Amino acid sequence: MMAGIRLVARRELGAYFDSPIAYITAAVFLVLAGTSFMNSFFLQGVIDMTPFFETLPYLLIPFVPALTMRTWSEEHAQGTVELLLTLPLLPLQLVIGKYGAALLYFALILAGSLPIVGMLSWLGAPDLGLILSGYLGAFLLGALFLAFGQFLSSLTHNQIVAFALGALLACVLVFSGHPSVVEVIDGLAPTWQPGTVMADAISCLPHYEAFVGGLIGLDHLLYFLLLSAFFLWLTQVGLRRIQY
Amino acid sequence: MIRVQSVTRTYGATVAVDDISFHVGAGQIVGFVGPNGAGKSTLLKMLATFLRPTAGSVAVAGFDTVTDALQVRQRIGYLPGDTPLYRDMVVEDLVRFVGAAHGLLGGALEAAMARVIDMCDIAPVLSLRVRECSTGFRQRVGLSCALIHDPPVLLLDEPTHGFDPLQVMAFRDLLTRLKQDRAILFSTHIIADVEAVSDRVLIIHQGRLLGDGTLAELEQRTGAPGLENIFAQLVSAGAERRP
Repeated sequence: MMAGIRLVARRELGAYFDSPIAYITAAVFLVLAGTSFMNSFFLQGVIDMTPFFETLPYLLIPFVPALTMRTWSEEHAQGTVELLLTLPLLPLQLVIGKYGAALLYFALILAGSLPIVGMLSWLGAPDLGLILSGYLGAFLLGALFLAFGQFLSSLTHNQIVAFALGALLACVLVFSGHPSVVEVIDGLAPTWQPGTVMADAISCLPHYEAFVGGLIGLDHLLYFLLLSAFFLWLTQVGLRRIQY
Repeated sequence: MIRVQSVTRTYGATVAVDDISFHVGAGQIVGFVGPNGAGKSTLLKMLATFLRPTAGSVAVAGFDTVTDALQVRQRIGYLPGDTPLYRDMVVEDLVRFVGAAHGLLGGALEAAMARVIDMCDIAPVLSLRVRECSTGFRQRVGLSCALIHDPPVLLLDEPTHGFDPLQVMAFRDLLTRLKQDRAILFSTHIIADVEAVSDRVLIIHQGRLLGDGTLAELEQRTGAPGLENIFAQLVSAGAERRP
């Protein structure tokens, strides 16, 4: 099982590092994340990485779908899905292999922000526990976005459609927990408070913000892990459906 | 080695393969002839486990393609139509990837690589990316992927597509050498390919099997000389029988 997953992951990672688009996307992401952090760092003058993590979900909305859009839609468009699905590998091995490669690539890009930690440590004494918790939250948020991005990419032959669907779902998951959006929706039916209900039920933002605030709760951890696993499971079910 | 029993495959209301049965034994090359849309590729996709039959059963090397799909995949070498390959991959990496997916490692993979590089003559393009290869070389790379694990069953969909006449001759020679203890089923539009190498011919039209036999048997049955005439006669007779 693991050998097949490693094989697929290695091929997929090679494809990531072969493509200039991946480098450009990573560079743009790091520049945007870095400049938005530096802006608030100089304005507030606090030795804290929280502004970086607070901006991250909004940056991931276009960034992660740009990474995942080709995952399966390109396989469908080029017909290579037929090559893959007639190799002696299980659909689950293919899905986890591709997902593992995307996670590793995302983790590498996230690691590109570590110089900020170095700079803060040089300037003062940041709360490293809080930073670590923030990074864990960022990794889990990226993992969730990658999981549904891969699933949505498996539904279409068109990479642009996969990107748009991924960005749309990311928007829903993030903005449904944004205080302004929650307030507006709550205002529509104050007795029922549908905005709050929606934020509690589906939004990834409250769970992510718990990590950013230094709270690593089991419920928050399970939210990301179970939802990511659910989308991966859906992807492999979708692959099996091709046969019918 | 290949047993197809009363297989039907539909896409919505369209019947792509209609109640077809045949078998292919070891050491046989069977040519699969039919016009575009006849159902050849659909049948090969079912044999390769990519599609499931809507009705009937398909077994390869004694394993059912639905319930034992992984066992089947270990025993087939499949060249899909239009040769879908990772265009950005280097040829050598691609063939190695397919070999490793079949469980070949270390020395076994090196030996298999050396064998297919020689057999399919892909040495000149090993370091190129697939997109940089000509159609003929791409086809040979696809063939290398199908042969890397030395499978007992070969399923080839339009294998000579894009070949020049010399490559076609080399391919026919390769098929003849490969057939010793293998079952080989290949589809083609090119009647000459079938006449040159096939032990048996399957003629398919509008999803139905119109003819199954050696060239001599089919000539005797139809009274038409040569596969081209047999094909034309069976197809027109088949069309007349259709409502």
